[in-house]
Amino acid sequence: MMELVFRKQIKRRWKAAAIYTTMAFVFAVAAYTFLGLKHDPLLVNLAERLLPASLEHPLGTDHLGRDVLTRLLLGTKLTVGYGLLSLLVAVIIGVPFGVISGFKGGLIDRIFMRIADAFLSFPDTIVAIVLSGLLGPGIENLLLAIVVVKWVNYARLVRSTVITERQKDYVTVAKINGVSSFRIMRKHLFPHLIGNVLVLASLDLGKIILLISSLSYIGLGAQPPAPEWGAMLNDARPYFQSNLFLMIYPGLAIGFVVLLSNLFGDYLRDKFDVKKEVES
Amino acid sequence: MSILTVNHLSVIGKQNRIVKDISLDIHKGEWFALVGQSGSGKSMTAMAIGQLLAPNLQAKGEIWYQEKNLLTLSSSEMRKIRGKHLAYIFQDYQGSFTPFLTIGQHFEEYQRTHLKLSKKARRQQAVEALISVGLYEDIYRRYPFQLSGGQLQRVSISIALLLKPDILIADEPTTALDSVSSFKVLQLLSRLQVETGCAILFIAHDLRHVKKYANRIAVMKEGVIIETGDKNQVLNHPQHAYTDKLIQSSPSLRSRSSLTLEGVSG
Repeated sequence: MMELVFRKQIKRRWKAAAIYTTMAFVFAVAAYTFLGLKHDPLLVNLAERLLPASLEHPLGTDHLGRDVLTRLLLGTKLTVGYGLLSLLVAVIIGVPFGVISGFKGGLIDRIFMRIADAFLSFPDTIVAIVLSGLLGPGIENLLLAIVVVKWVNYARLVRSTVITERQKDYVTVAKINGVSSFRIMRKHLFPHLIGNVLVLASLDLGKIILLISSLSYIGLGAQPPAPEWGAMLNDARPYFQSNLFLMIYPGLAIGFVVLLSNLFGDYLRDKFDVKKEVES
Repeated sequence: MSILTVNHLSVIGKQNRIVKDISLDIHKGEWFALVGQSGSGKSMTAMAIGQLLAPNLQAKGEIWYQEKNLLTLSSSEMRKIRGKHLAYIFQDYQGSFTPFLTIGQHFEEYQRTHLKLSKKARRQQAVEALISVGLYEDIYRRYPFQLSGGQLQRVSISIALLLKPDILIADEPTTALDSVSSFKVLQLLSRLQVETGCAILFIAHDLRHVKKYANRIAVMKEGVIIETGDKNQVLNHPQHAYTDKLIQSSPSLRSRSSLTLEGVSG
């Protein structure tokens, strides 16, 4: 028993340490991005193509002579930034949808949920590929495709929470006291949802980044010369045998960010999950 | 003079009728007790009065209040009556409060919906209401889970009676409390009833709770009111066998003199 508690503590400490280290690292990277960039990420310079790592180019240059580190750092803004943006839009659409559906019930709920089912019945990646294929390649269309795929999860999650909560007496009491439906949703139900939505969102961020990168990799997302990580992977493909690191760097960057968002999601879940609290 | 009249009310579920064609009227300022075992349809009747039934239940009949049929009112008209003229308190005191709002915020919301008062006046009114139910000012800042059951039930009474409603519907308010707290809550209710002059529709499954305070009693069984009448008439001369059984099933201690070492005599 003692050992079990001890192990749990170590595990928790390890997690905290991992999160703090990565956060520190991210801040360092961000600071460097804003303060120390010397190279133009888009400027082609064929005289300096495929250079190995040096002081001038810490991670070398790619096949068009552009500094890899600069592109990688600016790629954070593109990949993570667009990931966050699409997540935000998905949450903004999904949450009210779920709250109304769960609170009103009846016909509205049935119609809303059949719409959601229609979206859910296809795998995320396939829908995103089809949509961005139909709308034409480009990062904006990719964002739209991701929002279309992702909002359903939030609507469903929120709806189930609202359905359990709205049956409790305090909602009835608020109704009795003459509070309007909108205010009940906003003041009495909404705060219940924030925790769940945050957890799902932070776990989703990793998946969205993977989706952006993989769609960019097959040429549907960010278009060259934009320094998006998936697109960089694709650019580096022909040089796989001679300059392996050109693929490894963006790959590592993607892996790192996805890991970070998963760790953060886990941390949030531990914070908000009441069951876990009782256990420990 | 009756203030609320229920005429041939039925509550119809998907498969069966839960409340079957009941009629009752509540007089101004009286304590009307609706008694019956669990599942007899008492709470459904109470919910039907405030248009609070779940969407899968349907109410038929008429409920008259101030020359308005409550069952036919639109939801916005109903909202004006609920809270201001018609108030409720429930059995589940813990669940009656939104867990992340303070007691003060519960007051605030209620006052802002129905009154136009300044922030300071609202607070003062709330604190006065808390003190009138025997609580202290400090409660205003507390969260529901920091209070005991009896305290919470007092808070819900003070919120319910804040606007001096004509009718207070108390749905087994003492069932989840221990006997001392429920005694105090009942006493408080009866005092406030005298002060505000509101009528109370008191729902209980235990006759002992209503013996002392009720003016009139209606007994409900399987969705039907089998007996209505004056308290003494119902308790002392029950017309229906079921009422008699209900009275028998809740024996009270005999007077002290009849208690002997061997047990109850006579």
